[in-house]
Amino acid sequence: MDFKREFKTLVPALVGFLFFAVLPAVRTSDYQLTIASNTIIWALFAMSFNMLFGMTGMLSFGQALYFGLGGYFVGLLVCHLGAGWFVPAVFLGVLGAGALSLIVGPMVLRLTGVYFTILTLAFAQLGWGIVVKWYDFTNGDDGIQGIIPPGVLGNKVTYYYFCFFLVSLSLWLLWRISLSPFGLILRCVRQNPDRVRFLGRRVKRNQLRIYVLSSMFTALAGALMAGVDNSVSTEMWHWTTSGEVILMCILGGIGQFYGPFAGAVLMILIEDMVGARTEMWSMVIGIIMLVMVLAFPKGVVGEFANLAARLTKKSGGMEVGLGTNTRS
Amino acid sequence: MRRSGWKIAMALSLAAVLLFPLISGAQEKVIKIGALYPMTGRAGLYGLDSVAAMEMAIAEINAKGGAAGYKLDALYTDSKVKPDYAVHVAKRYIEEDKVNFLFGTVSSGVALAVTEVSKQYKKIFIGTDAAATELTVDNLQPYYFRVSNDTFQSMAAGALYLKGMQAKKPWKKIAFIGPDYAYGHSQWNELRYNLDKLGVKYEVVGEHWPKLAQPDYTPFITTILNQKPDILVAGFWGGDTVAFIKQALPYGLFDKMLYFHPDAGGNYELMSAMGDELPNGLILGARHYNNWPETEGNKAFVDDFHKHTGRYPSYCAEAAYEGIYAIAKAVEKVGNPDDTEALVKAFEGMKLKMPEDPDGFTSYIDPASHQIVQVQAIGVTEPNDKFPPAKKMLGQWKVFKAEDLMPPKDFIEAHTKK
Repeated sequence: MDFKREFKTLVPALVGFLFFAVLPAVRTSDYQLTIASNTIIWALFAMSFNMLFGMTGMLSFGQALYFGLGGYFVGLLVCHLGAGWFVPAVFLGVLGAGALSLIVGPMVLRLTGVYFTILTLAFAQLGWGIVVKWYDFTNGDDGIQGIIPPGVLGNKVTYYYFCFFLVSLSLWLLWRISLSPFGLILRCVRQNPDRVRFLGRRVKRNQLRIYVLSSMFTALAGALMAGVDNSVSTEMWHWTTSGEVILMCILGGIGQFYGPFAGAVLMILIEDMVGARTEMWSMVIGIIMLVMVLAFPKGVVGEFANLAARLTKKSGGMEVGLGTNTRS
Repeated sequence: MRRSGWKIAMALSLAAVLLFPLISGAQEKVIKIGALYPMTGRAGLYGLDSVAAMEMAIAEINAKGGAAGYKLDALYTDSKVKPDYAVHVAKRYIEEDKVNFLFGTVSSGVALAVTEVSKQYKKIFIGTDAAATELTVDNLQPYYFRVSNDTFQSMAAGALYLKGMQAKKPWKKIAFIGPDYAYGHSQWNELRYNLDKLGVKYEVVGEHWPKLAQPDYTPFITTILNQKPDILVAGFWGGDTVAFIKQALPYGLFDKMLYFHPDAGGNYELMSAMGDELPNGLILGARHYNNWPETEGNKAFVDDFHKHTGRYPSYCAEAAYEGIYAIAKAVEKVGNPDDTEALVKAFEGMKLKMPEDPDGFTSYIDPASHQIVQVQAIGVTEPNDKFPPAKKMLGQWKVFKAEDLMPPKDFIEAHTKK
């Protein structure tokens, strides 16, 4: 990688990093902090999901399972054992998700394509069903409230930086993964699994690895969300959550490493602004998605990259980490 | 380059959608209320009725010069019945819009999440509908007040009704059917708790838990017919009640047992949805009725609502209407909408004449539980076409004293010591 290209890929990341790093200091209202917390956490969820979807070509419709698991690890441990368990619970949730995805993964990976998608949905709904029904343990559809991060984390700004640190670290790890030989194999798995086999690499094993990794980062997002909302609800486990994260990826562009991040930012802002002004939010989001899918299938970041490439009369653009052939 | 022209057009139309006209009215002295109601989906009607009633109350109060010189102003957002989204909106209300009060919610799950925000930010949250007893028992926090009945009050009235009936027409076997989530389960638990407390002898022959919005109740209906209960207690709400009654009718279920539905059975949308089809003799309850009590206050409320919207209100509208009046009254007493602690004191023990109060009774907010204390009536379906499109309304009222319906100490203790 020559210096120029390296620089090009790092600039958006640095700009984003600096923006979210200084935001608490320059904010004009506390609400901007709330939105920023939501955004970076959902961005982590979307980007870890895109490691499955955009990179490896595995459309899981069940990532809510791990998002909810992460959130409920924190909720249940804080509720039953006390606020001091908050931080350990975040990491236990990540490990828990890793363990669960090691069990669920081999089962869902038996199938490919739409069957894989449906099976992931089935497992996620199974998790949702258990959480909704098991009143004595999970509090059912009432959810769990009063999840207050302990000590200094109770302050909103410190908690934001806590999230910001973990999210940045996670995104950096995801970025490293996407550039590693392992990331390259994952891209091959999407484009031509047979050839991966011919090359002597195992498709299923690599799929399982990224499934587990993605699930762990997803659980981290869920766990951090619990501290932002101070409550968790069964909504976290619901298929609509899995759907929302898919929409974010498509909106931002699944073929770009930063695409889901942009998608998460846009989705949260749109939902917030439209929701504040009309109850016809679903129509507005529907129209936006329709326009995006019909006219800009590469997503916001993808289309901008194309535009920039066309303007500078160069091919390629900012295909950060994911290669050009993204629509296959 | 035809294709790129098309793309530009699409991008422009997208931008037009996003740059939705920004409407904001800046006034000097206002009481800002941030309301969260579902406005779409299954509970949408309840949200829309509540919003209409809020607007009515706000217009009335502002026309009289507002409260302590402040005009009322409300913001409305569709809660989507999603707790996490509602938390987000509640924070926007507090941090960005600087509201003085949070208001609303139909779903208890949403209310439980929002009451946590209210506690963290020390902003008063007026609950107008969500009926989970937890809100004023297990999860009670200093800034939450509820101006409508909870399920415990409805079930306490229900148990008293059943006890009274046992004296006249002996019954023994009882079965329950209700949606399989917190709302359904609390109703059944609280009804049995109250029956036991009253020393009523009964035998449970069946419990049925269809899921919310179950499309087909036939298997449940046939099982219930086999179990032959004397009384079938139902805990549905909204469209589920209509679906169940419609599907049970051809089986003659309502001739073979008494249908008893004390919390949300008497909601007006059931009468308007079923018209003539609704059987006579069902025993139903709701938190507000369009035809009871026959006081000036209630008639005026129902007629005004009809003039306003062209339809008669469901039960939830009245609580939203009174919630606004409660806020106005508290601000009137304190003199400004910003002194939260003084406002809390003003709400505690506040007396409020509500449309649903019969003559000689005034609702009040219990200072200990922050729960409004109200008379509860239960009625029986009978022909009455004064509130079209309904052809049947409730009548033959039995009225229960407010004080008898509050959760007793041991119930509260058992729930808060968890």
